[in-house]
Amino acid sequence: MSARAGIDGFLAAAPWPQRAGLRLLVALQRRPRGAGLLARMPMAEQAAHAILALGRYDDPVLAGDLGWDARAVVARGRALRRAEGRP
Amino acid sequence: MKLDCDVCVVGAGAGGAVAAAELAEGGARVVVLEQGPPHDPDGFTARPPEMLARLYRDGGQTATLGAPPILLPLGRGVGGTTLVNSGTCFRTPPHVLERWAREFGLELDEATLRPCFERVERALSVAEVNPEMAGANAAVARRGAERLGWSHGYLRRNARGCVGSGVCVFGCPTSAKQHTGITYVPRATAAGAKLVTGADVREVLIERGRARGVRARLARGGELEVLAPTVVLACGTIHTPLLMQRSRLRDASAQRGRNLALHPATAGFALMDEAVDMARGVPQSFYVDEFATQGIMFEGVAGPPAYAAMSLPLTGARHARAMADYRRLAQFGLMVSDESRGSVRALAGAPVIRYDLCPADVSKFRAGLARLQELFLAAGAREVYLPLPAGVAPERARARDLRLMAFHPLGTARADARVTHGVTDGRLAVHGAPGVYVADGSVVPSALGVNPQLTIMALATRLAFQLLGRAVPDGSPAEPAATGGGDCQPDPEESACPS
Repeated sequence: MSARAGIDGFLAAAPWPQRAGLRLLVALQRRPRGAGLLARMPMAEQAAHAILALGRYDDPVLAGDLGWDARAVVARGRALRRAEGRP
Repeated sequence: MKLDCDVCVVGAGAGGAVAAAELAEGGARVVVLEQGPPHDPDGFTARPPEMLARLYRDGGQTATLGAPPILLPLGRGVGGTTLVNSGTCFRTPPHVLERWAREFGLELDEATLRPCFERVERALSVAEVNPEMAGANAAVARRGAERLGWSHGYLRRNARGCVGSGVCVFGCPTSAKQHTGITYVPRATAAGAKLVTGADVREVLIERGRARGVRARLARGGELEVLAPTVVLACGTIHTPLLMQRSRLRDASAQRGRNLALHPATAGFALMDEAVDMARGVPQSFYVDEFATQGIMFEGVAGPPAYAAMSLPLTGARHARAMADYRRLAQFGLMVSDESRGSVRALAGAPVIRYDLCPADVSKFRAGLARLQELFLAAGAREVYLPLPAGVAPERARARDLRLMAFHPLGTARADARVTHGVTDGRLAVHGAPGVYVADGSVVPSALGVNPQLTIMALATRLAFQLLGRAVPDGSPAEPAATGGGDCQPDPEESACPS
């Protein structure tokens, strides 16, 4: 799953009033003028930034550069479960 | 579609799964209805956005209304929140039990609950984390606590064969965490319980003043009616009171949906000289309880870069610079035992959670954040990033400055021996609704100051054996129990519970 798809799924799972608000915040933060507007509202800016950061650093290449390999963690887990008969 | 059984359990999380397994193994015919899906660990990807959307209710974005708004992540599916918690296990602190006896008339002392706790701990392989598995993130906190002379220790967790994958809250890929979806639920079904997932229970059926069963909507379409003289509600603290309200159960106390207690929490980061690699090891493995009597508890938190990036209280270039040093970032959490109280009610079928942080709890956060900074600096941090707006010092923080999450909701169907004060009684029976019981966090009448999963499971164990009419055995989970007269049937002559 791409990082963008991961964020889309994350936002889609939010309850409806928040979903609309968060999508708006993210759309604003992605545009220079929108980001400038949000900079005047620190809490909103922080929320939008947090969601975009969640997506950006979920990217396997970027995460890999920081020492995190989700695929390897999952593969190790699967191998352990198979080898030891875990659920 | 109709099913009939002795006991219908609504919810397969910490309380429901335990009650269902104990009842089924005790010989009762049990149906378990779970609103969410089963989760196959082969589908766990260790990628936070995807796992949040899949394993959490509302994608982990359930929030309270109030000052400040607080995120309240809740698990969804078989295992409930035990699937996505950090696995930390504490018994109910003795001073909390004493308070329950004094203020709520509950006869729950350490001796009464001891066999329940022991039984749960055996079933979940609860053990203390060893320092090697705790990882470098815990070592940072330990160094700070030791230099300051603060009380600390390694946490006890329900994990077996843990290899420190670092993603407890995003689905354990090794199935090391012993959540109820892989422990108690399989035991229940092996003992003959029927598990129905995707079953959204809409109503508890009442006939001639007592429980007759429940009616549920099925995710695959259609309705299910389960006829049972005993119904155990375990939908969780947010949803159990709403189901009771929908079912028009009597509430002489007017306390249903009120008294919501949380553990509001936040976390700080520190840039260290050494490599920390916070996601290597058990994220929540270490605690500092020096200020626990003041309602302030520190516990480890950590996660992969995406999780850290979302939590890091910085923006723009400062965020990017700090994330470039992710491998040297340490993180630790601060949890407050609250005095604030909130409420939950339904609006257009959805829960509305109201919760304002009271001044006393804001003061705890001020003190806690200052102590957290002290802990990091004592550990040798180069920089500390606290979750406060730029230029706001911990001691000047206002409620609206705080970036909070909350865990462990409790109390919305609180137990109290008095019908005028509690929704349930000391036996967890709903006042005024014979045959209806509650086995989740909603019955817990006050904040615990520690993670509550073991308390909920111990209370569910006690309830199950009470319904079976037996004492909780001291031996292993499979050991036969002494028998007596239970109350899982209205008429003892019709009882299907072996005695």
